[in-house]
Amino acid sequence: MQPGTAMLEALQEGSFAAAMRDSIWLYPAVETVHIIGFAILVGAVIMFDLRLLGVSKRVPVRMLAQHLLPWSVAALLLIVPAGFLMFSADATTLISNRAFVVKMVLLMLAATNAAAFHLGSFRSVQLWDLGVKAPRSARLHAAASLIIWLGVVTCGRMIAYV
Amino acid sequence: MKSLKLALLAAFMVALPAAAHHGWSSYDSDNAITITGTITEASYTYPHGTIMLETQGKTWLAVLAPPSRMSARGLPSSDLAVGAQATVQGYPSRQDPKEMRAERITINGKTIELR
Repeated sequence: MQPGTAMLEALQEGSFAAAMRDSIWLYPAVETVHIIGFAILVGAVIMFDLRLLGVSKRVPVRMLAQHLLPWSVAALLLIVPAGFLMFSADATTLISNRAFVVKMVLLMLAATNAAAFHLGSFRSVQLWDLGVKAPRSARLHAAASLIIWLGVVTCGRMIAYV
Repeated sequence: MKSLKLALLAAFMVALPAAAHHGWSSYDSDNAITITGTITEASYTYPHGTIMLETQGKTWLAVLAPPSRMSARGLPSSDLAVGAQATVQGYPSRQDPKEMRAERITINGKTIELR
C-alpha cells in the first residue's frame, strides 16, 4: 500500500465524492466549470506569453499583465475546486493514472516558472514595457510557460484515454 | 531553463508508455470478445459505470460508459440489475485478465452502444 492511500480512500468515501459519482448531472456540470475556468486561465497565459515573445507589440506589457492577472486568479477559483471534486470521485484510480501524475508535475513546473518570472525578469518590466523587445530571460520563461500549459491541457485530456 | 526543459522531456517520456487501470490504450482493440453472463454487481457511477459479469468459471469486470450517456441511450440503472443476463462486446484489458471495456451491451433483448 502506498503512503497516502488511506487518505485518498477517505476522500473518495466522502459525501461530495459520492455525490460526484452518483448524481447524473453533477460530474458533467463540474467538468464544464473546470473547462470554462481553464479556457480563461490558459487563454490569458497564452496571450501574455505571446506578447513577451513579440506578438501584439503595441500593447504595453504592464497593462496586459494588470488586465489578465485578476482574470487568471478568478479562473483558478473555478478550476481548482472543480478539479479537486473530480479528483475526489475517483482518487485512488487517478493517483496511478500517468497522465494525471504528469499533469500535476507540469502544474508545479508552471507555478515555479511563473513565480521565477515575477520575482526575476518581470521586475525590470518598465524597461521593456512598450517598443522594446522583452529580455531573453523573459522570453525563455514565456516559451517554457507556453509549452508547459499546452502539456497541462494535453495531459488533462489524456487522463480519460491512457 | 535547460533543467526545466529536461524535466519536461523526462515527464513526457514517463507519460508515453502510460498504461493505467481504466484507460483506452490499456485495452487490446485487436482482440474483440463477446461475453454472456449474469450480473453479480453493478455500479452506475461517474466517471463510468461497471458490472461484474459471472460466466462459467470466471467473473469479468466490464467497464461501461458514463451514467449520463447510458441513460440518454436507453440504459437506465434499473436495467443493470443483479441477477440479470447480459452480453457485452468489447476489448480485454492488457493488464488485468478479468477486465474488459465494453463497446456495447445487450440486456433484456436491447443492445446499447456505449462509445
